[in-house]
Amino acid sequence: MTIRFGLLGALALASISLLSLGAAVAQDEVTITIWSLDDANQPALNLAREFDELEPGIKVEYREIQFDDVVAESMRAFATGQAPDIIAVDNPEHALFAARGAFLDITDRVAASDVINPDNYFAGPLNSVSWDGKLFGVPKATNTIALYYNKDLYAKAGITEPPKTWDELVEVSRKLNDPANNVYGLAFSAKASEEGTFQFLPWAQMGGGGYDNINAPGAVKALEIWKTIMDEKLASPDTLTRGQWDSTGTFNSGNAAQVISGPWELNRMVEEAKFDWGVTLLPTETEGGARSSAMGDFNWAIFASSKHPDEAFKALEYFASQDDRLFPEFGQLPARSDIALPETGEPLKDAALQVFVEQLQYAQARGPHPEWPKISKAVQDAIQQALTGQQSPQAALDQAAATIKGILGT
Amino acid sequence: MNRLLSGLRDGKGFDIVLVTVPLLFLFALSGLPLIYNVVMSFQEVDMFSLGTFARPWVGFNNYIAVFSQPETWPIMRNTLVFVVVSIAGQFAIGFGLALFFTLKFPGASYIRGLFLASWVMPGLVVGAIWNWILAGDFGVLNYILKSLGIISENIFWRSDTAWSLWGVVIANIWNGVAFNMILLAVGLAGIPRDLYEAAALDGATAWQRFWTITLPMMRSTIGAVISLGLIFTLQQFDLFAAITSGGPANSSNVAQYWAWEQSFRQYDFAKGSTISVVMIAVVLVASIIYVRSTRHEVRG
Repeated sequence: MTIRFGLLGALALASISLLSLGAAVAQDEVTITIWSLDDANQPALNLAREFDELEPGIKVEYREIQFDDVVAESMRAFATGQAPDIIAVDNPEHALFAARGAFLDITDRVAASDVINPDNYFAGPLNSVSWDGKLFGVPKATNTIALYYNKDLYAKAGITEPPKTWDELVEVSRKLNDPANNVYGLAFSAKASEEGTFQFLPWAQMGGGGYDNINAPGAVKALEIWKTIMDEKLASPDTLTRGQWDSTGTFNSGNAAQVISGPWELNRMVEEAKFDWGVTLLPTETEGGARSSAMGDFNWAIFASSKHPDEAFKALEYFASQDDRLFPEFGQLPARSDIALPETGEPLKDAALQVFVEQLQYAQARGPHPEWPKISKAVQDAIQQALTGQQSPQAALDQAAATIKGILGT
Repeated sequence: MNRLLSGLRDGKGFDIVLVTVPLLFLFALSGLPLIYNVVMSFQEVDMFSLGTFARPWVGFNNYIAVFSQPETWPIMRNTLVFVVVSIAGQFAIGFGLALFFTLKFPGASYIRGLFLASWVMPGLVVGAIWNWILAGDFGVLNYILKSLGIISENIFWRSDTAWSLWGVVIANIWNGVAFNMILLAVGLAGIPRDLYEAAALDGATAWQRFWTITLPMMRSTIGAVISLGLIFTLQQFDLFAAITSGGPANSSNVAQYWAWEQSFRQYDFAKGSTISVVMIAVVLVASIIYVRSTRHEVRG
């Protein structure tokens, strides 16, 4: 009995040590992990796989995470030492990690790189990956918002060209508003989430304000115009709790004559909208006034805790080199000003894209600031308080400005 | 050694092992997170200190901060209104349906099975459906109410500060009716038929029979249903997330949604855990009532 046990024990020990020896020999190659919200129809997963095949010494493990979980998951992983090497993070939340040293400073690597050149990127996206004069990431893609309008309804109401100023927008919306036929003049989103801030900040910025100056006279005027639109029922009251995707759904079905949204709507609109439509730049406060727009989409960043920063940077260089495939294959806009977008053959979509690319020149990042979620919440609260009539726009924005001042520490 | 081993297989040792295993499991998976949560509410939490227990101790500062915010009391009031009206609605309709199905008409058991649909569906699916029903411009609820002449203009259930909480209450009542109906039906089935026959022979009306026989005999079931209903209603998160996200200007914000929002949207984990500790205290009271109401059912 004891001899048998002894033999079995010796055999087990021998096989285990042989296996581990074998595993150690095979561990010449480096493994990097990438987290992103892209699925198989979007760039990151496919580019990660291609990079894996291109580089024999680097193995790539890709994990898909949900949009809402990105920041919480990353925080938890970083705090427990299990952060990935590369992550795709939403641009307003980039500074949250960069300012605390959670992301790797890649300024020197970028300066030495042939593939990544900061001058090629639009100002807004580049700003969102920067902190304290250094680069902490590379923009992955970008998007913005502009004004979609229903050309058929315009013709019926006798409107010849889209509005250029805020007052013109309100006038045009009044003419197009048709409650008897269930048609609202305008659709947008004033939801109490990042979407609401995303939609409101461009207006505030065009009025001479910004997140650090949210109660500037121009910003108050913008919120007052929003209130007028809601009070006169030029937009649905559900605008307060509805996101951009659902609001644009009402445009597609002909229940709103205009909608403020982004290029992510184009594919669905081409299929569902049964009318002639176009896109124009966001109206400014005054004729020829300052332009601004929102800036969305994600950035790539390397975690400071990464054990293979060189290989991770190589991956980022590969992704940046494939930016010219972003639009033709995946329908996303690269954050680069040096890449021309090819024609898709769909005339309405191509015309719209030209407008979006032009609007991108004026797109401003949200922040960047490490406490962005709190700043955004102050703005959202002000919008909701003013539009539900609980506070006047001036009072609501004054309160938001005071809160933000406390957060900025100024 | 032999006596210990045989005690483990059959006798006191076995009983102890049977109880210890689930207790350990419960402690590890429910108890430790609970302790973690309570401890976190007394500390200053940051994204970098999520992984450790050793964070700066701030005593009751988080609690003071939470209770000095202007939105705290309106949100607590909303939570109270939500819980009371939901439970009242679910209980009344559930009880009514349970009584209705005791009439034993043909097909009763099949139709009763259909009512379980609401219990089976995932919370977010229910939320998404009610989202479409409650939509202001094109929602079915508005259409029905307008056709019946009850309202003349669309009610914006999701976006009107006066109605947003009630929209979620309606969806939650629908959600909870099945649970109440099943438990109350089981309780009703436990009442002997001859009590009713004897009362009918004595000339008692239906209402008198209900009041003097049904209700007293159902007392422990009702106690259990209401306590469980309180606990489940306080856990109701999916509907808020799907329909109003706390409503315009916090008008439909409740404590459970607010706690999640603080932790996972504002990344203020300390505040989120503080709010949830307050809720734990409330649920503790409900749980004590539940345990006491079912005490006589345990062989002791």
